[in-house]
Amino acid sequence: MKNSGKEIDSDQVNYDMMDKKRKYALLIEAHSQDLYKYALWLCKDKNMAEDVMQEAFLRAWKSLDSLREAKAAKGWLFTIFRREHARQFERKQFDYKDVEQMDTIADGNMGYDDRPEAFALRNALIKLPQEYREPLEMQVLGGFSCDEIATILDISSSAVMTRLFRARKKMRQILGHETMPHLGVVGE
Amino acid sequence: MNKEVEKMNCLDFKRLALSDPNSSEPSFILHSKNCPDCLKYVGSIRKMDSDLSSSLDVQMPESLMARLELNQVLQEEQKSSSKFRQYAIAASFAAALFVSGFVANNFYGSNSTIEHDYQALLAGVVEHMNEQPLTPVWDSAKANESVNTHLANYDGNMKMKFLENLQFSRLCPMGRYVGLHASLETPDGQVTFAYIKGNTVEDILDASYDGFVTRVKPLKEGNLIIISRTNNALKVADEQLEKAIYWET
Repeated sequence: MKNSGKEIDSDQVNYDMMDKKRKYALLIEAHSQDLYKYALWLCKDKNMAEDVMQEAFLRAWKSLDSLREAKAAKGWLFTIFRREHARQFERKQFDYKDVEQMDTIADGNMGYDDRPEAFALRNALIKLPQEYREPLEMQVLGGFSCDEIATILDISSSAVMTRLFRARKKMRQILGHETMPHLGVVGE
Repeated sequence: MNKEVEKMNCLDFKRLALSDPNSSEPSFILHSKNCPDCLKYVGSIRKMDSDLSSSLDVQMPESLMARLELNQVLQEEQKSSSKFRQYAIAASFAAALFVSGFVANNFYGSNSTIEHDYQALLAGVVEHMNEQPLTPVWDSAKANESVNTHLANYDGNMKMKFLENLQFSRLCPMGRYVGLHASLETPDGQVTFAYIKGNTVEDILDASYDGFVTRVKPLKEGNLIIISRTNNALKVADEQLEKAIYWET
């Protein structure tokens, strides 16, 4: 996600010169795979992930003119996706299954790695409280920096750092990796 | 240890490692170079992140990629249809031809092309939809009464049980065909379906077409064409129609 200033300038010039179709094609090419990975994990259902993705990209197409900087594209797209997901979630109230069942579904239908180690990691992630899990998913799945996550979630960077700290600490505890003494964070 | 490293002790390092294991802060990098224990610690966190990311790896379906690409085609068609309807019709034909070459991926199967008979049926219905973008929404009593009146004229033995979510029905010309055109409202969005009498297709085909998810299936002495924006809506509608449509002997 991080570029040198020269690369950003060059990307920006190229982006500004592109027509809308090319910008949209680039958006799909560059970010759809990452977004799908995030979408499937968030939705836990292939059909729903595809529907929300399609709707999010449709909204992205409609408001593509409001995207001024190429480097902001990924964060912009994830924000659109999260809003669309929240909108559809509110409307439909999906019937989420328990953790064990979700992993079975994941293995069978969603094409996830079905080795026990992968099971354990996904289960550990699911067990995190939502407010800790969300920034970790964005950093690990989306490759976003703390500042970018702060922008998307509309919270401060220091709050993101605190949540990520707690998320990883909890993950390590669940996975049995955390043997070190308590590490407090400022304000805890 | 130099001055920079002294600024960050092991406790601070580990705190930052848990928040941002790939931090580019100079003191973080310097500390990791000079403290084997902390280097090992941040290494274990990076490995956990990498393993977590791998455990969630999935390949995006090609059919979804095609549908995303078609969003723009569809939007442009809609935009231009309000101003230049005649050009829009031509564009939908062109889009249909263009799309049929590579988009006809079955979201349950793996059809790589849409055969001519399927394409003709889909093109007929979609073209009609594009020509009539504002399908009326009737109350279900009126729509159900209408559908059975039309069916009596179209195929005397064909009937449809009462559907609470039926919104509209009419006999319409659709491309080279004439058939029943109707719509259903589902929790996942509106679904258009058409029943067209004639030679039946060989088998059910699910395909992305012109930005829609579609299903063409043989039914008695004709074909049922179902068109939606979402897989779920299409599935729900198909299950409903399967139960509702019948023939009196």
